[in-house]
Amino acid sequence: MNSDQKILACVDDTPVSDAVTDYAAWAARTLGAPLELLHVLDRHLALAATQDHSGTIGLDAQEKLLDKLISEDETRTRTAREAGRLFLHGLRERALAAGVHTVDTRLRRGDVEETLSEQHAGSRLLVLGKTGPQPGTAEHALGQHLEWVVRSVSRPVLVAAETYREPTRVLFAFDGSGITRKGVEMLAGSTLLKGLPLVLLMAGAPSGAETRQLELAAQTLKAAGIDASPSIVKGAPQQTIVSALSAGGFDLLVMGAYGHSALRSLLMGSKTTGLLKTTQVPTLLLR
Amino acid sequence: MSLHTLRQDWFSNVRNDLLAGLVVALALIPEAIAFSIIAGVDPKVGLYASFSIATLTAFVGGRPGMISAATGAMALVMVTLVKSHGLDYLLAATVLTGVFQILAGWLKLGQLMRFVSRSVVTGFVNALAILIFMAQLPELTNVSWHVYAMTAAGLGIIYGLPYITKAVPSPLVTIVLLTAVSITLGLDIHTVGDMGKLPDSLPAFLIPNVPITLETLLIILPYSVTLMVVGLLESLMTATIVDELTDTRSDKSRECVGQGVANIATGFIGGMAGCAMIGQSVINVKSGGRGRLSTLVAGVVLLILVVFLGDWVKQIPMAALVAVMIMVSIGTFNWGSIKNLRVHPTSSSVVMLATVIVTVATHDLAKGVLTGVLLSGFFFAQKIGRILRITSRTEDDGRARAYEVAGQVFFASAERFTEAFDYKEVLDKVRIDVSRAHFWDITAVSALDKVVLKFRREGTEVEVSGLNEASATMVDKFAVHDKAGTDDMLTGH
Repeated sequence: MNSDQKILACVDDTPVSDAVTDYAAWAARTLGAPLELLHVLDRHLALAATQDHSGTIGLDAQEKLLDKLISEDETRTRTAREAGRLFLHGLRERALAAGVHTVDTRLRRGDVEETLSEQHAGSRLLVLGKTGPQPGTAEHALGQHLEWVVRSVSRPVLVAAETYREPTRVLFAFDGSGITRKGVEMLAGSTLLKGLPLVLLMAGAPSGAETRQLELAAQTLKAAGIDASPSIVKGAPQQTIVSALSAGGFDLLVMGAYGHSALRSLLMGSKTTGLLKTTQVPTLLLR
Repeated sequence: MSLHTLRQDWFSNVRNDLLAGLVVALALIPEAIAFSIIAGVDPKVGLYASFSIATLTAFVGGRPGMISAATGAMALVMVTLVKSHGLDYLLAATVLTGVFQILAGWLKLGQLMRFVSRSVVTGFVNALAILIFMAQLPELTNVSWHVYAMTAAGLGIIYGLPYITKAVPSPLVTIVLLTAVSITLGLDIHTVGDMGKLPDSLPAFLIPNVPITLETLLIILPYSVTLMVVGLLESLMTATIVDELTDTRSDKSRECVGQGVANIATGFIGGMAGCAMIGQSVINVKSGGRGRLSTLVAGVVLLILVVFLGDWVKQIPMAALVAVMIMVSIGTFNWGSIKNLRVHPTSSSVVMLATVIVTVATHDLAKGVLTGVLLSGFFFAQKIGRILRITSRTEDDGRARAYEVAGQVFFASAERFTEAFDYKEVLDKVRIDVSRAHFWDITAVSALDKVVLKFRREGTEVEVSGLNEASATMVDKFAVHDKAGTDDMLTGH
C-alpha cells in the first residue's frame, strides 16, 4: 500500500460522525496517512417534499413549477452547504486535536453511493458511520445503504461504532475464503494493527486444509508484528462471532464482506449485514 | 443497469410516489374518456390504453416519473382512421406504431429531436392546447343552459378549490360534485354513458380483427407513421420537461423503445395508441412524484377505479369532463409565448405561429412540426448566409484586383457571392482568395465557377487560391471535422 494514499471518512451532521472522525483519526495516526473528511449533499433524496395534490394545472403551470422547484432546491442546497461547511470544519478541528497531521475536507454534491464510487480512488481505507449517512430517511434501515456503499467501492471499509473506543483487542473472523486470506496479507503489510493482540476465529468444524490455512494466517500476522493467535469454535458463524465478541472484550472486528452477489443477498439476506446489525463493535470490512 | 439505479428509480421516493400516482390516476380518468371521445371510440378503449401504457412505461420507459397514457395528440391523428375503417384498424395501427417506435429507438432517431427548435416545441404545445379546446366545442354547442352552468361551476371548482385546500385533486372534486348534482336534479344532459361502452372487466388479450393483407398495411401505414412521429415528439419533449423540472437525466432511446413496447401491448388488449402527457407529467411532479413507482401506481389505480366504479363513471356529465379538459388545455398552452411574440426575433415567432396554424388547420401535429422544422432551417440558412464578406484592393497599378472572400458560401448565399464581384472593371488579372471562406455545397462551387467564367469572358485572367481549404467543409463525412484542429478550420483558416 502506498503511504500517501488517504483515509476517507464519510461524515454528516449526525452524532455518529464524531465517532467516525475519531476512528478515522486513529487509522490515520497508526498508518501515518493523510485524512480526508467527505460530506455529500444529497439533495435528491429530500427533493419531493410537496403538499400540492390539487391535480390542477393553471396558466404556465410548467414554468411556474420549474421556478418553484429551482428556488426550493436553491435554498435547501444553500443551507445544507453552510451547515456542511460548519460541521466539516468542527470535525476537522477534532481530527487535528486527535493528532492527525494532515486533515482535508471535501464537500460534494450528489448521491452518496455514486460519489463514493468516484471518490474512493486514491484512498486506502473508507470510514463510515453505522446508521448510514442519511438517518431518518428512507434509508434508515441499516445495511441497505451501507451495503450499496461497500459494494460500490473496492477498498476496505471501517464501520465505526456509535462511540469511539481505541481498538485494543481485535477479533478476525477467518473463514479461509479468498477475501479473508487476502485480508491477512493486507493487514500484515500495514501498520494499522501493529502490536495489538488479535484472535483469528474460525467457526464450525474446519477441514484439515482450512486448519492449516488458519495457522498459516496466524504465522503471517505474527511475522508482521501482530500478536495473533488462532482459535476454532464450533457453531454457526454468526452466533459464534457475536458471543466471542462480547466474551473476549474485543473492540474491533475484522471480516470479509459481501462475498456473494447482490441478487443473492437480496433474496437470502446477507451474513455481513446481519452481523453488522447485531454487533456494537467497530468492524473492518475486507473487500 | 445496476441494482443501484433500479432501486433509485423505483424506491427512492416511495411515499410521495404513491400519493402522486393516486392523484395522477384520478386525473387520468376524465382525460382518457375525453380523448376516446375525440378519437371517436368507446371510452373503454382510452381507459384500457391509459392503464396499459402507464403500467408498461413504468417498467420499460426511459424517464422515471413521466406519465404516459392515451393522449389528445394521438387521438387527433386517428380520428379519420376510426371514422373510415373502424376500431380494429386503429388497434392494428397502434401495434404497427409500436413497432416503428421500437425501430426508432434502436436507430437512435431520438437524436433528431435536436433539429426541433424551441419555437417549434412551443408551437406544438400551443397547437395541442388549441386542438384539445376545440375538441370540447361540440359538447358546448346547441345545448341547454344547464351545460354552460355546469361547465362554469366546474371551472370555478377546479381553479378555486386549490386556494382552500391542496390536499385533494380539485378536478376530481369537480367531477364528483357535478355528477351528484346532475343525478339529484335529474338533469337531461349528456353523460359519459351516452358516449359508448365503459370497461366492465379487466382487459383481455385480443388480436385486431383485420385481414392481414397488403391493402390493410397501406391503410394503416400512413397513420402509424404519423402516430409514431407525434408520439415520439411529445414523449421526448415531455421527457425533456421532466428532466428540467427534476434536474435529472433520462435515457431518450430507451424511452422510444418503451413507448413502442407499451403501444404494441396496448393494441393487443384493445387500447388506442398513446404517448407521454405533458399536463399529467407536470401534475405528477407537482404532486411529488419522481420515481417509476408513481407511474405504475397511476396505471394500476386507474384500472381498479374504472372497473369497479364503472356504474358511477357512466353517470358523469360531459360538462364536468369538458371543464377538466379546458383546464388541461389552459395548462398546456404556453401563455408566456404570446408575450414573447414581441420580444423574440421575428423568425422565431414566425416559426412558432406557422407550426400552430398548420397544425390547427390540418389537425395533424406531425405536419405542423414538419412545417416548423423546415421553416426554422430556412431561417437559419438565411441568417448564416449573411455571414459573407468580400473585400478587394487593386494591385499592379490598377491592372489587377485581389478579392478576399471570408464567410459562408452555400445555396442561400451563392447569389450574393456572385454579385459581389465587379465584372465591368477593366483588369488584366483577378486574384480570388477563398482560403478564409467555407464552401458548403455544390451550389457554392458552381457559383465560383460562374464568377471565373464571367471574368474570363471579359478577357480577365483569374487565379483562385485557397480552394482546397475552403471546400474541405463540403465533405459529407463529418468525421473529418471531428478531428483536432476542426475549430480552427471552421472559424477561418
